Amino acid sequence: MSASEPTSQPAGGRPAGAWKPFALTLPALVLLAAVIGYPLLTIVLRSLSEPEWGVQNYAWFFGAPVNLTVLQRTFTISAWVTLVCIVSAYPYAYLMTAVGPRVRLVLVLCVLIPFWVSGVVRTLSWVILLQDSGVINSLLRSVGFSGVRLIRTQTGVVIGMAQVLLPFMILPLYSVMKGIDLRLMRAAESLGARPSRAFFTVYLPLSLPGVYAGAIIVFILALGFYITPALLGGPRSTMLSTLVQSQVLSLLQWGRGGAMGVVLLAATFLLLALAAPVMRSRHREAGRR
Amino acid sequence: MLKTKGLGLGAMVVLGALATAAFAQEKPVAGEVKEGSLKGKTLTLVSYGGIYQDGQAAALKDFVEKSGVTLLNDGPTEIAKLQAQVESGNVTWDVVDTADLPPYVYCGKLFQKLDFSKLDISKVPEGQVGECSVPAMNYGVVLMYNTEKYKDNPPKDWADFFNTEKFPGVRGLDGSGDPTGGLLEQALKASGGDPKAMTVADIDKAIDVIRKLGPDTIYWKTGAESQQLAESGEADMLMMWTGRAMTAVKNGAKYTPAWQDWLVVMDQMTIPVGVKDTDAAYALLNAYLGKQAQEILAQQTSYTPINNEAQPKVDDSVAAFLTNTPEREKQGYKQNIKFWVENFPVAQEKWSALMAGN
Repeated sequence: MSASEPTSQPAGGRPAGAWKPFALTLPALVLLAAVIGYPLLTIVLRSLSEPEWGVQNYAWFFGAPVNLTVLQRTFTISAWVTLVCIVSAYPYAYLMTAVGPRVRLVLVLCVLIPFWVSGVVRTLSWVILLQDSGVINSLLRSVGFSGVRLIRTQTGVVIGMAQVLLPFMILPLYSVMKGIDLRLMRAAESLGARPSRAFFTVYLPLSLPGVYAGAIIVFILALGFYITPALLGGPRSTMLSTLVQSQVLSLLQWGRGGAMGVVLLAATFLLLALAAPVMRSRHREAGRR
Repeated sequence: MLKTKGLGLGAMVVLGALATAAFAQEKPVAGEVKEGSLKGKTLTLVSYGGIYQDGQAAALKDFVEKSGVTLLNDGPTEIAKLQAQVESGNVTWDVVDTADLPPYVYCGKLFQKLDFSKLDISKVPEGQVGECSVPAMNYGVVLMYNTEKYKDNPPKDWADFFNTEKFPGVRGLDGSGDPTGGLLEQALKASGGDPKAMTVADIDKAIDVIRKLGPDTIYWKTGAESQQLAESGEADMLMMWTGRAMTAVKNGAKYTPAWQDWLVVMDQMTIPVGVKDTDAAYALLNAYLGKQAQEILAQQTSYTPINNEAQPKVDDSVAAFLTNTPEREKQGYKQNIKFWVENFPVAQEKWSALMAGN
């Protein structure tokens, strides 16, 4: 191959082999269409066609106060979980970039090992920790505090879910942070910025893409949580998935269950659409600085 | 005259013998199956897993060995899954163990109307056979209370359970899914209503009684959780399944049952609509109803057998929670099945609103 050989791309035109990368994604697209697209379509159709064609299932959803309460609660709990995850994952991911390879391996394992344990097992260990006669409360009592009710409360659910979802925040954060050149911080300090100033004006904006990516993954996963709120929560922390479950599995109301799923999906898209411009502008701002 | 009478008698005896012989061939006997009759066939039993399904498999071991059938176990039972199978015409569940009400609610739709010439139900306790079901076992929902908390003034019945003024303390109720009809009836009774003349509006009244138990009330999600609540002493009064109550007490929980109006519950055995080999499924059911099978089931699971002649050998701690003694039968409370079958969706809807914190 010599340098004089013409490239496959005629000036101004499309590269001749541009379809190739798309062809390579075909297996993934087929898989997605089969396991996401088709079931999703079925859910939408069933929500509109059972027991008969029409919007009765949606009318039912918005007509029953309990559904709206639970929908709102689902978003509130997910937002809290996301916040807890950001606050606890950020320093952890930063530490992962700052230490040597051996300590980093330990830190990575600390994140991944719980990740490999089944969600049910982890949730049940939280039951043991959080219950009234559990580890946390006995500890509090032994040092003279009165016990706090953690299990079957929203707080308990948020704690449990945040722990389950933490890896989804740490990993994207870490992958962004490890690309940030730490010399930038030193440069900022050499220009007279205090460490906190250097962090907030240099490091934090550069790490925001990781925060956004993690936040979106955690938030969306949290919206669909079922096992953790069911086991750690009480009636006041029921999330939408539990209601879907009771509609579909006990009442065989596939239409209503479908409508609930569609409403949740639509609400999620709406929220993301609202958040997207904010994230994009911040991102650009960060790029400019 | 005398002669004819004698002749008549003789003829009757002969006829009777003939009839018995014919019967012996046709009429199934609970627990029995013809040697090698299901060789090469496969049956799938669907139930709720754990020691319960292990016990059922043990109870059917003799049937499997004699008939030559291959028995597969699947589960847990989910009516939605069964519906999907029936709708798609591909039913792989041959015999399904369900909760109390579904066979009545979906009789003829998801579950076959049973042909009782293929089953021997003569030993099944009275009033337990439905158009689409035979019982799988009996158990109870019983009020368990903390003996250390209530000492000399223990609660006696569900009215006391719902009376938080006279009996302060944390209550634990079954929040595992569907509403328990009998409990709602008892709640209505506690508020002065009449469960025998229950109306749809009464469901609200009953649920209000439960709601008034307060924000501390625990709705357990699994039998294991209820057991754990007793063993850790987190609830002062608990609505519990007898099997779990027995295990909790065995494990040292300081709880004791108040048997008055314990709620009679059963699992049902059904054959779904559209199974490939109905006769094989009947053969399994018939074997399951047998005396010996029921004894094995009771011994392994501590659930009450549904064959009147079964005499399982169990130790005292298990025997204390068997529900088929004359005394328990007198104290038991049977829910108004007809009402709950007719109003199942309404009740479920109102119950799930309570479960969702409304």
